[in-house]
Amino acid sequence: MASATTKKRISKKYRGYVFIAPAIILLILVAVFPLINTFTISFQTQQQGKWLFIGFDNYRKLFQDEWFLNAVKNTVIFTIIVTIGHLGIGLIFALLLNERWFLPLRNFIRGVLILPWLFSSAAGSLMWSMLYHPVGFFNSMFTTLFPNATPIDFLGNPRIAMWSIIAVVVWIWYPFYMVSILGGLQSIPTDLYEAAKVDGANIWQRFWYITWPLLRPVLISVSTIDLISTMGHVDVVKMLTAGGPMQATETIGYYVWKTGLRDGQLGYGAAISAILVLAMSFFMFSYLKVVSKGGTSGTNF
Amino acid sequence: MELTSNQHSRTTNKRKRASRSQRQKRWRTIMIVTVTIVATLIMMIPIYWMVNAAIRPIREVLTVPPKFIPETVTFDYIKAVLESPRNQQHFRNSFIITISALSLTLFFSTLAAYGFSRFKIPGGRAILLGMLALLMIPRVSLIIPFFKLANLTKLYDTRLILVFTNTTFALPMSTWLLKGYIDSISQELEEAAMIDGCNRITAIRKILLPIIFPGLVGVGTMVVINSWNDYLLSFILTQTLKAQPITIALAKFFGEYNRNWNGIMSLALISSLPIMLLYIFFQKYVIQGLTSGAVK
Repeated sequence: MASATTKKRISKKYRGYVFIAPAIILLILVAVFPLINTFTISFQTQQQGKWLFIGFDNYRKLFQDEWFLNAVKNTVIFTIIVTIGHLGIGLIFALLLNERWFLPLRNFIRGVLILPWLFSSAAGSLMWSMLYHPVGFFNSMFTTLFPNATPIDFLGNPRIAMWSIIAVVVWIWYPFYMVSILGGLQSIPTDLYEAAKVDGANIWQRFWYITWPLLRPVLISVSTIDLISTMGHVDVVKMLTAGGPMQATETIGYYVWKTGLRDGQLGYGAAISAILVLAMSFFMFSYLKVVSKGGTSGTNF
Repeated sequence: MELTSNQHSRTTNKRKRASRSQRQKRWRTIMIVTVTIVATLIMMIPIYWMVNAAIRPIREVLTVPPKFIPETVTFDYIKAVLESPRNQQHFRNSFIITISALSLTLFFSTLAAYGFSRFKIPGGRAILLGMLALLMIPRVSLIIPFFKLANLTKLYDTRLILVFTNTTFALPMSTWLLKGYIDSISQELEEAAMIDGCNRITAIRKILLPIIFPGLVGVGTMVVINSWNDYLLSFILTQTLKAQPITIALAKFFGEYNRNWNGIMSLALISSLPIMLLYIFFQKYVIQGLTSGAVK
């Protein structure tokens, strides 16, 4: 029998590897190997089509590059505010949807609120670029309400551009956090609230002493996912402002693309990528250390 | 006599209090419903405006003050988008890439989830954690080696490389979610089937797959959404119509001088419809998958 021979060939202890092998091989080829490549490329530079090993030169250049530092600053602001936006809007909608009211309508609204998540970053950016248009919806409303005001240049004003980008990113991806938080809320047993009500706790006390502590693990895990995926964000920045005006919206992710692929400095771009990976690992490690202190951590990663 | 009147007044008091709290409750519900509906309408403005621009002449959409109710409605823009051979090719690419990535991901991650769940793999936990750690890598930090390797392997500007990248980025999450599913199913059924003479593969196919089907649908829908909507890697790894998916066609608009808003908004709408339909069908499974993943 064929199965008997295979059983003999692969000892029982290692049979599990056969099942995980395809996935692992693909991950090694398409993720691990390129990741190692990022680091090796970062020590090299291209001259007349040849790769030269230049040690830490790319990294040295990096710390004197004021536009890199500008990108770091922008990324920090962008990541923090987008995460707060996602979790804030997600939490508010989740709390509203978790209240007891007319169920079919509630389910319908939940379905509608998820819609933005289904659009690609390209479609989302397109919609918002039309809202941001000089005579688009926002300006049209604004100049109708205040006839003497000048229209706002949402994407061209260095002070406003970053906020315009943040609004788009928050809008596209908040549903993911809303649904995750809603799942967390629904796993809180309702008799806890009944008991608190009997003891005379008001709505804030109920939120603060029941909802918040029990929701913490979920919030920790979704905020981790959010920080990770927002920090390297490129799409919306690239499409709406291309880093401008005056590099006001240039994030690290966009800077990697710009220097590495648009300007062709592959080695330098790889050095920025490597720093991004290292900073992210370090940051995630300390973030999880800090936020999971005291409570049970929800991130069983 | 005194006693009864006392009792009487007490019960009316109680009733009054009850009705007051009930009224309060009703007010609270009305408030919550109103706030939710208003907030939802505000969140839908971008979508409403996109649909507007897809079916109304643009000079009716970009106006001061804004016109909320359409005057002229036409499907010419949508028709033009659907009839353009360029767009058809973009759609074909998106379909091929997404369906291939979906099949590969489901196949590989079901196998891997089964392996992690049913076998004591030496170092299995470390491998699983390593897989999840890969989720942490921002994609943008891989674009330079991807670009270089794609050129070296002659896979640059093919649909195949996007199938590989989309599958790879979907694998850790789908394996994790499916492992959770398989963990919750008792092993006895499969073992009984195997004693009855099925081999392991038949046991998986005939017994396990039907049980984890909801999980597969949920995971699969998420894979399709991410793969269909991928922009960054498609932009970096493809160059011509032969491989570019629909997101690239959308993003090209930002580089144009003569902007055809009606055309692009129709394309944005049409390109999102397949995902919306899919989502309407499988919403339940996706939400199940998402919530179980986050709570774990």
